[in-house]
Amino acid sequence: MSTYVAGLLADVGIGLLGGLSVYIILATGQLSLGNAAFMAVGAYLCAALTVLLNLPLTAALVIAAAATGVMGIVVGFPALRLRGIYLAMATLGFGEMTRSFFLNFGFTGGANGFHGMQPVSTLYIWAWAAGVLVLVTVLERSRLWLELRAVNDDEVASGLVGLNATAIKVGAFGFGAAVAGLGGGLFAHHRLYIEPADFGFEKSVEMVLMVILGGSTVAPGALIGSALLTILPEALRVLVDWRFTGFGALLILVLLFRRQGILDRHLWRRLAGRRGAAP
Amino acid sequence: MLHGHVVRTWRLPGIVGAAGFLGAAAVAGLALAADAPQLTQAGRLAGQEIRIGAIVPSSGPFAEWGKTNTITLKMLEDEVNKAGGVDGAKLKITIYDDAARPAQAANLMRKLADDDQVLAVAGPLTSSAVEVAFPVANQAKLPATSQASSKPGVAALNRPWGFRNTIDEGVLARATVPYLKSAYKVASVAIVYDAKDAVSTSIAKGVMPAVMKAEGIKILNEDSPVSFNTGDIDVSAQITAIKALNPDALVIGADYSQAITIIREMKRQGFVKPVIGGTPLISSAILKAAADLPIVAPATFYAGMKGDSVAKFSASLTPPLRKGAGLPAEIEPSMYDANIYEIVNMYLDAVRKAGVTGKPADLAADREKIMKDLTDLKGFRGFSGPISFNKDGDAIKPFFVVLGKDGRWTEMVRGCSAPDGKSC
Amino acid sequence: MLLQQVINGLTLGAVYTLIALSFSLVMGILGVLNLAIADLFMLGGYFGLTVVIGGHSVWLAIACAMVGAAILAFVVERVAYRPLRDAPVIMPLLSTIGFSIIFQNVALNLWGSDPLQLPDELFDERIAIGPASVGVMQVVVLAVAIILVAALAAIVQKTWLGRGLRAVAENWDVARLLGVPASRVVSAAFILSGLLSGAAGVLIGLHYSAITPFTGVDTGLKAIAVMVVGGVNRIWGVLIAGPLIGIIEVMSIVYGGSAARDMVVYGLMILVLLVRPQGLLGGTRTEGQRV
Repeated sequence: MSTYVAGLLADVGIGLLGGLSVYIILATGQLSLGNAAFMAVGAYLCAALTVLLNLPLTAALVIAAAATGVMGIVVGFPALRLRGIYLAMATLGFGEMTRSFFLNFGFTGGANGFHGMQPVSTLYIWAWAAGVLVLVTVLERSRLWLELRAVNDDEVASGLVGLNATAIKVGAFGFGAAVAGLGGGLFAHHRLYIEPADFGFEKSVEMVLMVILGGSTVAPGALIGSALLTILPEALRVLVDWRFTGFGALLILVLLFRRQGILDRHLWRRLAGRRGAAP
Repeated sequence: MLHGHVVRTWRLPGIVGAAGFLGAAAVAGLALAADAPQLTQAGRLAGQEIRIGAIVPSSGPFAEWGKTNTITLKMLEDEVNKAGGVDGAKLKITIYDDAARPAQAANLMRKLADDDQVLAVAGPLTSSAVEVAFPVANQAKLPATSQASSKPGVAALNRPWGFRNTIDEGVLARATVPYLKSAYKVASVAIVYDAKDAVSTSIAKGVMPAVMKAEGIKILNEDSPVSFNTGDIDVSAQITAIKALNPDALVIGADYSQAITIIREMKRQGFVKPVIGGTPLISSAILKAAADLPIVAPATFYAGMKGDSVAKFSASLTPPLRKGAGLPAEIEPSMYDANIYEIVNMYLDAVRKAGVTGKPADLAADREKIMKDLTDLKGFRGFSGPISFNKDGDAIKPFFVVLGKDGRWTEMVRGCSAPDGKSC
Repeated sequence: MLLQQVINGLTLGAVYTLIALSFSLVMGILGVLNLAIADLFMLGGYFGLTVVIGGHSVWLAIACAMVGAAILAFVVERVAYRPLRDAPVIMPLLSTIGFSIIFQNVALNLWGSDPLQLPDELFDERIAIGPASVGVMQVVVLAVAIILVAALAAIVQKTWLGRGLRAVAENWDVARLLGVPASRVVSAAFILSGLLSGAAGVLIGLHYSAITPFTGVDTGLKAIAVMVVGGVNRIWGVLIAGPLIGIIEVMSIVYGGSAARDMVVYGLMILVLLVRPQGLLGGTRTEGQRV
């Protein structure tokens, strides 16, 4: 495997974590357009821990993910008041505020960015990414996830059967944020340099796109989406000057002709079934 | 270093006019013995292919530079191959577009290193992309030289494989500021900068204040420099606030595209004072912003620059540039075109001098030879004069303080980026 | 200087108002964030400036920009919104981002990445007002913003189209039952917002006299904040919110907080969403007409 392919794979793995962070929050019917902010916090915190305090990477990642998770919970409470497009706009504002914060935060370099991280292997990134994917897939079969879905489908009814919608929604925000923070930590150690521009509105949109294009009803959809968004800009190079036009057009086409995303429950069951049947 | 008669024996190959083997010989460093063994030399790599990579931003906010860079490299490839190649080997430049996105730049660096097996890479252009792509080059042990990045210390973090054919903004400011001071009787300045951009921020908040103080120039808004963000269309409040301070000149930390917005607003508010900035100001577009407003900036190349080599370069590059898709009809070669042209020529020079074989089995050794050649580069003649690299990987070469006024750049002062300021 | 800064703030506010109005028209009626508006506004600027640089009158430029942007807005509606009308709100939002990406790329390929600049002779003239001064274009921007808002108000309040818009905003199915051609009304909303953003683009292009293919994005995000502060469902709110945010931005620069500017603006937006979702000026929380 060439380092080029390995590099792209590492991007796919980090993208998968970003996509999953949106997926988890979306499962409760909440749309976040500001997850790049959680990624930024995870990235800067994790990088500061390994560079300034010489903490081992794994420990730094765990701390960064936990701290970002707490932040997600804090953001999740006010988010309860909003839904749909209003929540999307509020999280958009939160993302822009966070980016602006890091731009002005001299301690982590401001506009100059932050250096000094040690590189990680693609395998290490994938150990985390695959681990979280498996965790989410397992969770999806649990009662907890049923509750998440129930809250998404009908909050009043789920309240009647005794589900605590508040805890579930806020918890999903926390979990999603932690996953984004983890992705951010790995991002910082894959790139070896981070700057506020890495975590703008565009990044948040990219994370949402991964889920919507890949398939928003099953967790592995985020994997398909992440692979697509990483590889498409490379694959479309044949279009030269028009490659972003091609990208935009493809994006619209997928949304129009496969609304549920490329991977849906039906397709996933078929794929999983066939795989299960193999020895 | 003295040049004298050597000045005319341009070591950049393939410049139109220096055709055929004569050109190739001059290139091979045999300028003083044009009748010497160029034939054997020319054939040393016959049948081989010399592969060089380039990363340029042909889409995104710096598309113009990426597109002209691409045309420059294609012209160079053509010239070298028409003139008999690199010691007989065919030159192949693989050019990729990173859209000025760091992620793409890093992946392309890996692609050039592994899949395309190039000997060395020219680019990427933006500092953000360099920050991410140079560590990759360093891991891959692949020489890489940026044509434009001037954010302080970026190459220094990625030694020994990272180089920049640009001069640290701090060195340049030590020449531009004294010129501004004496030419326009400047006793006080104010600062405005693009807070979203790293190079702009470091020029406005680090480099310029230090030099201004050393020159005894008062900074009127040092405690609260006025900022804006990349993409802002309205900077009227910033200019009104600065106008109220009544400085003798304005320091602009911004690339030319954003600086145009500032200069137009200055003009609109009738605040016509000289402006000073770093290399990111150099472009032909900025000259159109306000003809009567003097722009002081450092450059190693500018449209309309004097010199035979420059004239030849401009004469052969300008027509294809003006035919280029999506480029303005009146476009001129930019400083970054000159820089990337020099970079690839340094590489080719090293291929010839350092005994690079071009064989796949020797790839690692060849790359190291090129890196070493660049590290100890001596006597390579660029457009402004001889080029070498300091220990931080940044270029030591002559530069000019230029004044942009009435639609053109004029050379005002000549400087040198060597530590003593004169060994160029 | 303060007077001058207030003028600066009001102009910036008018710019935000015009774009926010385009967002608000579609958002208020259909509940859809059409992010392509940011780039329709950018393209409007290019259309207009190209016409002016070609030696034609400013009025022709405004007309071309408005019509051009309206046609593209109609295309966005047909391709990116209509087939996804029943889908979750995120779907049309993302498909309009698809258009946004395409528009930027097309502008980049057609006009290049260097700023398109108006020639000097077309430069703005200034009128002195005591210690301050105001540009002719600045007055035009302010005036056109007010005229367009008034025209929009007349359309929404007085015409059958306005009644249709309000009915669709209330309830799609009921509107159809009442005989409102709902789908044509939706197209009309997009076209109106296209006309507005095209006008905004050309006025801003003429006033600031330099635009790039990337002009739309940041200004567009700010305009969304303005729309929210004014009250998403009340297009009139932006008339106050635009100048308010314009003045806030300007004052943050005057009092040395230019770095914190974005944090203040987006912070205000979040605060309004959380505390007064009906907007700063909105009436009661739940009722009231949406348009």
